[in-house]
Formats: sequence, C-alpha cells, structure tokens
Amino acid sequence: MNIAFRQGAREGFLHYLPLSVGLIPWALVTGVAMRGAGFSVLEAMGMNCIVFAGTAQLGTLPLIVIGAPMWMILATALALNLRFVIFSAAIAPAFEGVSRWRRILSGYLLTDGVFATCSPRMLASTDKDWRLGYYLGPSIWCWLLWQVVTLIGVLGSSVLPTNWSLDFMASIALMVLLVPIVASRPMLVAALAAGATAVTLHDLPLKLGLIAAIFVGIAAGFVGERWIADDSTKDVAL
Amino acid sequence: MSESVMHSGWWLWLAFFLAALATHIPRGSFIVAGSRAKLPAGLQRALRYAPAAALAALVMPDVLLISGELQIANPKLLATIAVFVVATRWRNAWLPFIAGMAVLWLFKF
Repeated sequence: MNIAFRQGAREGFLHYLPLSVGLIPWALVTGVAMRGAGFSVLEAMGMNCIVFAGTAQLGTLPLIVIGAPMWMILATALALNLRFVIFSAAIAPAFEGVSRWRRILSGYLLTDGVFATCSPRMLASTDKDWRLGYYLGPSIWCWLLWQVVTLIGVLGSSVLPTNWSLDFMASIALMVLLVPIVASRPMLVAALAAGATAVTLHDLPLKLGLIAAIFVGIAAGFVGERWIADDSTKDVAL
Repeated sequence: MSESVMHSGWWLWLAFFLAALATHIPRGSFIVAGSRAKLPAGLQRALRYAPAAALAALVMPDVLLISGELQIANPKLLATIAVFVVATRWRNAWLPFIAGMAVLWLFKF
C-alpha cells in the first residue's frame, strides 16, 4: 500500500462519501424485506455478504419465499445484473497491471454508485496504484456502510417508519450522479432515450425493460454524438 | 406474516449462492479477464454512455410512474426538479437531498 494508493483511496472516498447517503434507505429497505421474508438474522446477513447487491436481493426475495425453482432464481438475478457486464467492460482498462486476486476483489465490490462516481477519473489516470486506491477506498466504504445499515434494518425491522418515503433518497442519489454527466448533449440524448424507454417498458417482467433501456440509451448517445458533430461542422461551413 | 412454503437450511443457502454467482460473474467478467478480453474500440466508446443511460433508466420510472401509471403532475417530479436546480446551481453535496425530501414532504402531506 504505497502513497499513491493511499492518496487515491482518500480522494475516491471523499468524492463518493456524500453520494453514499443514498445507500442508507436502500440498505434499510433490504434489511426489513429479508426479515419480512422470514430469514433469521444469520441468513439475512449471510445473503447480504455473499450476494451484496440490493436489486438482486430484493428481486429474488419473492421467488425464494414461494420456493421457486433454482433456475428461476438464477435467471432473475442474472437479468437484474446484466448491466454489470457493461460497467465491468467500461471500467476494465483501469485495472491493467493489477494482480488477479485484487481484480477478483474489485469485481465483487463493483456497484452502480462507485462505478458512476469513480470510473471517469480512474480511466483518465496513468498511475495504476492511484487508480486502485481511488476504486477500493469508496468501494470498501460502500461495503461497510451497506452491511451496517442492512443490519440495522434487519434488527429494527418492526420500528422503522414506512410512510416517510425515505426510499426516494436512493433516487435522489442517482439524480445527483446524473446532473454533471448530462452536461454534454449526446449524454443528455442517451439519458432521455433510456429514461423514456424504461418508462414505456416498465411492465416487462424481470426488469428486462431496464436492460432494453440501457441499450437504447447507449445507441441513442452514439447516434446523437455523430449527429451533433455533423451539425457543428455545418455551422462552421456556414 | 403469512405461512410460506420457503424451504430452509441448505436450500436457502443454495439459492443465495446462485444469486451470488449471477451477481459476481457479470461484475467480475471484464475486470478479471482484463487485457486478454478487449472490447472493440467503437463498443468501448459507446459504453461511455452506459452510466447516463442506466441512471436515467433507474430514475425516470420511479419519478414518472405512480403505482404503474404515467402521472406527470406528482410530488416526486416536483422534488426531482428541485434536486436538478439545486445540484446545478450549488456544489454542496448534501443540499440536493435536503431540498428534494423537503419538496416531496411539502407536497405529499
């Protein structure tokens, strides 16, 4: 753990810290839901440690409760997590030169929030130790916060207020990430196309609408990029 | 709680294990395979749009749909506008949460 790693870890942690607030309602909701499904404290925290994915945990709970076939649990969790293949491919160049075990640990810790917050600066940096620190600092914080707050949800599932709409804080956290990204026009096109698709296809099972929306958004951004570039060259010509 | 047919013991842990596999194989895929598996440059460029697309795809249904129905005039949309205005104007990281929740509660109750 050299100086560059530690400096990266501190910068990444500070960058991610305010946004990690959005995890709190998610973790509470997940903890309460696992207790509601009839898990013991050990089972709930076991799932929380080995799966470590709010969407996949909440998405498979109803199937586990009814004793659904294993393939259905596997397929549902896969559909919910397909987006991580895209994130993993996008962030992979930043792990060049990192040892295999640290890459496996980094894969286990990959979350939407840390990816969105940290991948741009990681990909721009040339120092591999700084990059790893900048990723692992916020990721380990995210893991600890997730475990502790879920445990609070598991232990206090009967006393938390349900009518405060606290789950909306998770959406606010995602919006805060979105604001600086959509400053460029192709990014805005990608976001609007993806959002409109997700709203239109929200009835599809297994959150497949979300996956379709991500693909539509990426395609729209790519098309928008060329289209807007063409437009500006025309302006210059005039 | 209603009576569930949930199995216990090893069945439950096997279900957790499968959900974990379905999470960590996608997450680790390219990070672990590393430089041996490279995506084409065009695809890599297209993937820059993945975060914006995924974030909007997660947020917009939550803001625009009320129990599965499209509803433009709702407290969540007003809260969203407040969050965007605050996050664009000021650098403070906590302010969007305070403003968003305040607007939501104000129009909800």
